[in-house]
Amino acid sequence: MDIPPPGNGFVLSRRSLFRLLGAAGGTLALGAVARHSEASQESSAMPSFTGPGVNPYWNSVGPYVSEPQKTPLLLLTDRGVQLETPRSYFQTAFTPNRAFYVRWHLDGIPNAVDLKSWRLHVEGNVAQPNSYSLAELIRKFPAESIAAVNQCSGNSRSSLEPRVPGGQWGNGAMGNARWTGVRLRELLNAAAPKTGSLQIQFQGLESGAGPEGYGSHFFLKSLDLGDPVLDDCIVAYAMNGEPLPMLNGFPVRLVVPGYFATYWMKCLTWVRVLDKTDDNFWMKTAYRIPDTPRGNTTPGDVKAGTVKMIPINRMPVRSFLISPDGDAKIPAGMPVQVRGIAFSGYGGMAKVDVSADGLKTWQPARLGEDFGRYSFRTWEFTWTPKAPGRYTLAARASDSAGNTQPDQPVWNPGGYLWNRIERQDYFVGGAE
Amino acid sequence: MKRYFALRLGGSLAIVLAAGLLFAQVKRGNYAPATFGQLQQPSPATPTDDSVYQVSAYQLYPPELAEGEGRAETESFCSLCHSTRYITMQPPLPASAWETEVNKMRKTLGAPISDASAALIIKYLQAHYTPDTRKQ
Repeated sequence: MDIPPPGNGFVLSRRSLFRLLGAAGGTLALGAVARHSEASQESSAMPSFTGPGVNPYWNSVGPYVSEPQKTPLLLLTDRGVQLETPRSYFQTAFTPNRAFYVRWHLDGIPNAVDLKSWRLHVEGNVAQPNSYSLAELIRKFPAESIAAVNQCSGNSRSSLEPRVPGGQWGNGAMGNARWTGVRLRELLNAAAPKTGSLQIQFQGLESGAGPEGYGSHFFLKSLDLGDPVLDDCIVAYAMNGEPLPMLNGFPVRLVVPGYFATYWMKCLTWVRVLDKTDDNFWMKTAYRIPDTPRGNTTPGDVKAGTVKMIPINRMPVRSFLISPDGDAKIPAGMPVQVRGIAFSGYGGMAKVDVSADGLKTWQPARLGEDFGRYSFRTWEFTWTPKAPGRYTLAARASDSAGNTQPDQPVWNPGGYLWNRIERQDYFVGGAE
Repeated sequence: MKRYFALRLGGSLAIVLAAGLLFAQVKRGNYAPATFGQLQQPSPATPTDDSVYQVSAYQLYPPELAEGEGRAETESFCSLCHSTRYITMQPPLPASAWETEVNKMRKTLGAPISDASAALIIKYLQAHYTPDTRKQ
């Protein structure tokens, strides 16, 4: 169906936009500029990869697959299992367990756990080693709940330019849940770390085929004993009021509010107090960021070896335009509810501003219910486009610590910390 | 306790059984071949009231790697630890990046790949997965 283009503008179809960005691995054809906007879905199959340019889609491009206890999610890799949450699940402050993204590092992950023999061990440089069954964790300690965003360190990695190797996530490697469990402090206090203790190491039921002593054998993460985030940590046995899906860390997972998900150990089974700094691969080599503003650097500086790297930690402030998603044309003069989410690892949301004129002027969005400083905060903005044409809307969040999303991109070799202002294009048509 | 991991050899899938010793209370690494488009719906849990919490096998979707010399070695060695979707998921990467990745797997992560096999794998990845060479 051929609809005349609005005004005199030729409109780029999503497919041709994709080609122009150099993503389809095909030739860049001038003739790919379409004369009409496509009604809704792609008219041809999705590409199997994006690049060498940036990923032009909101999500990654993988096909939908259904893994146990999960609704169809976008496949990144099948072994280890990495699944991305589609954009439409972020219309609410809490992400359903079934739609919550999945990211494992190694392929030996549990298909079954026997709670008769499973125990959470608190051990290492402590006066009183302990182990707890799930029933003991539930009965012996007060239940604490916190709403907190779990975001993969590499969320939006496919936005970086130049592209970097790694999981090629779109924006859906994140989710927000109400986590319920035991305060980590309670467990640590009961174990009484000895003097000289430096870090706490976390290990779950994940292992790989690699040789012992290598990162391909065990996935291990550690936090400093003096890190104030330990006061906020919870060993969670419930996620949105339900048992955790196996792929999200049944029976318990560590919740580190404000920190990237790499520390949120799934299937947590060993809490180990160390009297030295953890130098395993997952701390010493992987998940490290430049010790620079925003963790920003350049390929040249990395090559020159002049960049000091530190372990990744808190999540920078971000916001997302969720709906409408640009799939449908909007009639001129119609008030449209633009909805999104925002969050920060540095504290609650102070404000979200929306620009409807390509980042020239900004107006405040209405913030939704406040579920706590580490939760998604929904926002809403009523936008009434007056005339047909192409519009770029953008959302910019500011957190209560005074951080505001910048419009400059970020680059670092791990593909971490992306938090540039997000944009969404809309096409407005005539209504009379 | 049994542990399964899939080893893709020369394009054919072999399920290899390995014994793990550490986690007696856990069954791990059960994967099974699956078909795109066959999406499953939730089904009732097995009606037992014991303390075992179990899910079905995780799904394998081995990608078709580009035809060419070194493909069999690439599939065999990379699949020791992970799916070859780790290759096809990447954007086209510069030739030097593929060399860095293979060396990282060998030296930093301990993959048992000989110099000769590594050279073959690097050459294969560079021949099919760079901005100049990637077609699929």
